[in-house]
Amino acid sequence: MIYLDNAATTRPDEEALARAQRFASENYFNPSASYGGGFAVSARLKEARENLLSYIADPAKFELVFTSGGTESDNQAIFSAARRGNAVTTAGEHAAVERAFAELKNRGVETRFAPVDRYGAVDADALLSLVDEKTSLVSVIHVNNETGALNDIAAIARRVKAKNPRCVFMSDGVQSFGKILVRLTQEIDLYAFSAHKIGALKGTGALVKRKNFSLAPLIHGGGQEGNLRSGTENVLGILDFAYAAEKKFSSLSEDGKRLKRYREMLWDMLDHGLFMRISPSEGSPYILTVSAEGARGEVLSRMLWERGIAVGTGSACSSKRRFSRVLTACGYGEKTLDGVLRVSFSPETAEEEICFAANEMNAAAKEFKEKL
Amino acid sequence: MERVIIIRYAEIHLKGKNRGFFEHVFANNLERSLRGIRHELHRTSGRWLIEKFEETRTEEIAERISKVFGVHSYSVGYLIGSSMEEIFEGAKLVAPHEGTFKVETHRAYKQYPLNSMEISAEIGGRLIETYPALRVDVHSPQHTVYVDVRENGSALVFCAFGEGAGGMPVGTSGKGLLLISGGIDSPVAGYMMAKRGMTVELLHFHSYPYTNEGAKEKVVSLAKILSPYTLVTRLTTVKVTKIQEEIHAKCAAELNVTLLRRFMFRIAERFAKEHGLQCLITGESLGQVASQTIEGLTSSNAVVSLPVLRPLVGFDKEEIILRSRKIGAYETSVLPFEDCCTVFLPEHPAIRPALSFIEEEEGKLNVQALVEEALATAEKIEF
Repeated sequence: MIYLDNAATTRPDEEALARAQRFASENYFNPSASYGGGFAVSARLKEARENLLSYIADPAKFELVFTSGGTESDNQAIFSAARRGNAVTTAGEHAAVERAFAELKNRGVETRFAPVDRYGAVDADALLSLVDEKTSLVSVIHVNNETGALNDIAAIARRVKAKNPRCVFMSDGVQSFGKILVRLTQEIDLYAFSAHKIGALKGTGALVKRKNFSLAPLIHGGGQEGNLRSGTENVLGILDFAYAAEKKFSSLSEDGKRLKRYREMLWDMLDHGLFMRISPSEGSPYILTVSAEGARGEVLSRMLWERGIAVGTGSACSSKRRFSRVLTACGYGEKTLDGVLRVSFSPETAEEEICFAANEMNAAAKEFKEKL
Repeated sequence: MERVIIIRYAEIHLKGKNRGFFEHVFANNLERSLRGIRHELHRTSGRWLIEKFEETRTEEIAERISKVFGVHSYSVGYLIGSSMEEIFEGAKLVAPHEGTFKVETHRAYKQYPLNSMEISAEIGGRLIETYPALRVDVHSPQHTVYVDVRENGSALVFCAFGEGAGGMPVGTSGKGLLLISGGIDSPVAGYMMAKRGMTVELLHFHSYPYTNEGAKEKVVSLAKILSPYTLVTRLTTVKVTKIQEEIHAKCAAELNVTLLRRFMFRIAERFAKEHGLQCLITGESLGQVASQTIEGLTSSNAVVSLPVLRPLVGFDKEEIILRSRKIGAYETSVLPFEDCCTVFLPEHPAIRPALSFIEEEEGKLNVQALVEEALATAEKIEF
C-alpha cells in the first residue's frame, strides 16, 4: 500500500518505537517515585523534553509541557489565555481551535475570525484590524492542515504585540513541527503540536510556552508537568515522540527540499483537465491538495484505496461533514469542495510511489467521470 | 426465599390444537434470549417461571425477556413456602411502603386452611401494621400485591407488572427476508413482522466505493439492535455498484431509483427462494418518497412472484419514528452515513413511472447477468 495521508497520521517509526518500548518496559516505575527507578525515568523524560524543545526554541526562554495531543494543547492554550474581552483567530483553523472558540463564545468571550485567501492563509491586515485593546488572545495556525498554506506567525505575532502587548499569541503547529524549520520568537507565547504526525504514536502532544507566561492547567491532579498537566506521564509515548523527532530533525531541510520536488512532480503528472490545484506552491512541501471537480472526493479516496493508495479528503477529523469549513472559507464552490483530495507525504515517501499515485489518481478520476 | 420471574404470554392461549407447538417455540425463544445467563425455565399453570438465577442479574433477565415476542407481561417476585408466615415475609419484600394498595389472592390449592379473601385480608392487615403509610383501597389501588398459593406447598408473591413485547413467538409464522437499508423504516418493518411470529432474515445492498464501510457497520449495528427481538444473528450484504453504474450509463435518469429497486427485488427474491424464505419485507410507506408511490410499488412488485409485505405502508413518518425509538434503533438509524449513494440520485425522480416506459428502459440492460453478478458478491456477516 502506498500511504499518502501523512497529514492525517503517520506510520510509527519502528526504530524509535522499539527504543522507547525497550526503555519503558524495563523502567516501568512511576516517574514521581522517590526511589532510584522513578528518578531514572524522570531523568529520561527531562532529556526528551529538552531535546524536543531545543529543535524549535531557545530552552532558556521557553518551556515544554507534555499533553495527550494537539487538540488538548490547543484547548489548554485557548482556555488558559482567553478569559475576557475578545479572542481573534482565522477562518483557516483546525477544528481543535475552531470548536474551542465556539466554546469561548458560549462562555461569554467575543470571538472574531479573520478571512483567509484562496489558499487558506490568513489575511494578516484583516487579522490586525480585529485586534484591539480588549483582545485577550490571538490564535493563528502555522501550516494549514487542509491546504499546506503557511502563515508567517513570527511577523504576525510581532504586529499583534505591537498593537496590543498584553494579549496572548498562540499558534497551532501540528502540521509544521518536524516538517518545516520553526524558531519561536519572543512574541509567540504558546505553540501546540502533536507526536503522531511525525512518526510517533497517537496520544502524545506538547504545548510550548514562553517562560514566565502564566499558563493554567486544564487537567488537575497529582501536579505532574510542573502542575500544568496532571496525570502519570505517558513515558512510552513521550520517549517515542522524542526519538522520532530526533530522526526527523536530522534531515529536515533535505527532506523538505526533496518532498517539494515530489509535490511539484505529482502536480505535473496529474491530468490538469481532471484536477485543479488548491495548495499554494510556497506552502508546506508535505501537502498537495487538489480537487477533481465534479467528482466526489470520498468516493475517489475509496476507489484509490482499492487500487492500493491511501489519500485523504481534507481534514480527517471533520470528514463526516459534507463540505470542508476551511475550504468553503477559501471561497470555493460546491463542485470544487465535493472533489477535494489531500495528498500528504512523509520523508519515507519514494519517487516511484508518486508516479504510481499520479497515474492511479488520473485513472480513478477519469473512471468516476466516465461512469457518472 | 427465592427470587423468580413470572412470565405471562400473549396470544398463545388462542391457538387451540396448535398450542403445544406455540408453547414449544416460545420456550425455545426464551431460552435463546437468556443464553449466557444461568437459570431454569419451568412451565406452571398458564405461565412460565424463571428460577435459580443470580439475584444480581434480575434486571438483565427482565430486560431480555421484555423483548421476546409472545411475552405479554412479567413480574419479579418470590417463590416461598405456603405458610402464612412465609407468605407475609415475601409480601413485605414486594409491597410498596406508602400509597394505596390491595392484596389479591389466587388459590390453586383449594384445601388451604384459609380461603382467598381470608388470605388477602390477613396479609393486607399485617402489611398496614408494618408500613403505616399504606392505605387499603380495594376499588382503585395504586398497587396490587398478588399472592398465588400453589398446589405443591409453595406460593408466589409479586407486585409490579413489566410490559412484554406482545405478539407471537418468532418462528411460528413462517420466514421472510427483510431488505434493510440503514434508515429508520426498515428495522421497524422487520420488528413488526417478527412481532407477528415471523423469522426475519436480513439482506442489505451497498454500492461500495460510492458508499463507505461506515454505512455497512451501521446496518450491522441496527441488525444487532433488532436481534433480541428477531433472534436472528446474521446478515447478508450484496454489492449493487455495477447495477447502479449501468443504470446511470444507459437509462433515463429519472428512473434511476425505480430501476435499482426492481433489481433489488429480483436479487432479494432469488436469495429468498434459495434460502427457503417465503416473502420479502420492506419498510416502504405509501408516498413517503418518490419511489414509494403506488406506481413505484407496483413496478417493484411486477418483477417478483413472492408476496411483498410492507407493514409500514399506512404509517406516517412520526409513527415510524415513535416505534423506532421504542425499539432503540432511532439514534443509530439517524447516524450520518449514506446507505445509498446520493451521487446517483436524479434531480427529478419519476413519481408515477409508466410500466411500459420502465420496461423499455430496462430493456437496455442485461438484467439476468447483472442479477447473477450481484448475487455472486453476497457476503454473510454473523454477529
